[in-house]
Amino acid sequence: MVTRREFLKFSGATAGTAALTSATALASPYVSPLDPARIGVLTDLTVCIGCRSCEWACAEENKLPHGTLDTYNDQAVLEKRRRPDAEAFTVVNRYAETAERPQLDAKVQCMHCEHPACVSACIVGALEKSLMGPVTYDAWKCIGCRYCMIACPFQIPAYEYENALTPRVMKCTMCAERTLEQGRPPACVEMCPVEALLFGRRDELLKIAHERIDQNPDRYHPEVQGEHTVGGTSWLLLADRPATEFGIPKLANESPAVLTETIQHGIFRGFSGPLMLFGLLSVLMKSSTDKRHGKGWDESEDQEDQNQDNRNHDGEDHHG
Amino acid sequence: MRSLRGVLIVLLCLAAAAATAQVADPAHKTPTASRPAAKAAAMQGECANCHSCTSPSHENPCLQSCRRHGAQFQGKHTTDEGPEIVIIDQLAELYGPVVFAHQLHARMSAMTGGCTNCHHYSPPTGKVPACRECHEPKRETANLRQPALKGAYHRQCINCHLDWSHENACGFCHIQAGDKTGTTEKPKSGAGSHDPTDIVGARHPLIKATPTYTYQTSEPTGPVVTFHHEDHVEQFGLSCVDCHRGDTCSSCHDTGGTRVKKRLDHVTTCGACHAERDCAFCHSSGSKPQFDHRVSTGWALEPFHKHVACATCHGKPEDFRKPSNTCTSCHIHWEVGSFDHAATGLKLSENHIDLECASCHLEMNFAVKPSCTDCHDEPMLPGKLPGTKVPRR
Repeated sequence: MVTRREFLKFSGATAGTAALTSATALASPYVSPLDPARIGVLTDLTVCIGCRSCEWACAEENKLPHGTLDTYNDQAVLEKRRRPDAEAFTVVNRYAETAERPQLDAKVQCMHCEHPACVSACIVGALEKSLMGPVTYDAWKCIGCRYCMIACPFQIPAYEYENALTPRVMKCTMCAERTLEQGRPPACVEMCPVEALLFGRRDELLKIAHERIDQNPDRYHPEVQGEHTVGGTSWLLLADRPATEFGIPKLANESPAVLTETIQHGIFRGFSGPLMLFGLLSVLMKSSTDKRHGKGWDESEDQEDQNQDNRNHDGEDHHG
Repeated sequence: MRSLRGVLIVLLCLAAAAATAQVADPAHKTPTASRPAAKAAAMQGECANCHSCTSPSHENPCLQSCRRHGAQFQGKHTTDEGPEIVIIDQLAELYGPVVFAHQLHARMSAMTGGCTNCHHYSPPTGKVPACRECHEPKRETANLRQPALKGAYHRQCINCHLDWSHENACGFCHIQAGDKTGTTEKPKSGAGSHDPTDIVGARHPLIKATPTYTYQTSEPTGPVVTFHHEDHVEQFGLSCVDCHRGDTCSSCHDTGGTRVKKRLDHVTTCGACHAERDCAFCHSSGSKPQFDHRVSTGWALEPFHKHVACATCHGKPEDFRKPSNTCTSCHIHWEVGSFDHAATGLKLSENHIDLECASCHLEMNFAVKPSCTDCHDEPMLPGKLPGTKVPRR
């Protein structure tokens, strides 16, 4: 028979451990493990001319279906709002001239979040945030759950729905092979005829972006999209208007992954969650057994089995 | 069992609360805007022209990227100093060279901001530097603050053209290298080479001109002057700039970019080409018909030469009065039996029809009239022809 005192002692210890581990979780906020010299791209939308060369270069580099460069001169596609899909990792959207604002062409692609929700959501680690910046994808690990597509705040990852046997999640990888292994700029950056895209160290690009804003305050909206949004992104955008006006959703300055990861990791930190759960469960099981049969802690196994049967019958009664 | 479920729910709620508490962590808050802008604005004098911070050091010079519209264009220059046309061909690879009408753009710029619109840097003395003197031909990732030459050119041209006419196609300025209609195979002059949308070396939406202008003059003998604009453009293959010199975009467009119909006045006079002609060439009592090769020269172009550009036979417009090329310049495969001599107005007799062309036209020189005595000794023969005269076809 467990005494009241013993029970309190046990549950107190369990709760204590849990509280302690939770406290540790509380005390350590999310610290970015990324390399300070990580790379990024800066898109200056005020310079972009909407020629769609980047789309062609991207398709060429990533072996996506595409026509000749001339076919990308077709400006009619700009009349519709497009999103990257399984056959195009990047698209340019045109925001027509209004009485107040000039025309704006906005290139859309994976923003390569500093703390990506897609990577956080991926249960098999097929998506990975390189410490050097790019968010890369490994089709061999992918199980096709498409959680990443739901998790992405920018709605970027696409899926090869047409491919019945070996479908892949499709998204920009910042040309990781070129950028990380060869030190070359991504295909789109290299192609851009007006250098609206700049490739370099993210911190350097941020500095350049702020210089441009400082030097031409009339030309630019004073915020660099991607400096803080969703915890920062490797791809930065400069424009003459707030990002919400060219297709970027209104987002918090914290990665959506922080909330989910804190809950998940907090619960399981130091195995405290399961420990607490099973500790409490065992206590409750014992105490309920004692209550019904008036037996102590040290019963014989046969008796335990007997109890088990009784409990099962109880359960059935409940259902009935 | 019910109590167990309750405990579980409480437990999860606790964990969630702990998590939420962490989410509100101050480490993730947005830094407030205290940008170097404020500092730079506070700075006075010349330092701020180049540096973005108050105390630049060797390690961190905090150099600003060049100010495109800053007051860095120094020295006194006028629009007329610059070249008329600049051929931009340093980077020609995928596309052919760009013929940039510099003078035209300069005059247009003079209305808004002057040379500094494009030449954003110029030293106090000396020449205005060319783009390539600062901008490297190769794009270096090391220098992120200065676009490479290609980017610099494109930004200067396209960003302005985009504002002006929403034009961003490569072909607007470039001719694709290797293109059949491109520079490589394009005749230098003449109707075949003429692109009616080519305004001073740059493409432009087609301008529809009146085909014929009739002027009433005070000349007593021939008051009417007829000018067939269409002939000069379509047939003689003249470019707009051959006559319309000194016009700028502003002659037709206002500065807002809308199109205004306006007559171009700066015309090279007729006399510049037709100087040695007598008055009656232009002046007459009534309007004159369009140019007809049969009427003016006695040799009809129909049917085979109708679509041949004037320049193919005559060369430059100023040499139109006689052919500068011979028939065999084009008809290199002419041999016996493949040429119908009757087309020239002379049907060869049976005796002559099987002779080689060069037997009469010595060294295939068709400009010189053949002489019968080269073959025939009889003195009576030169009075005759080697066939019979027929109407020309």
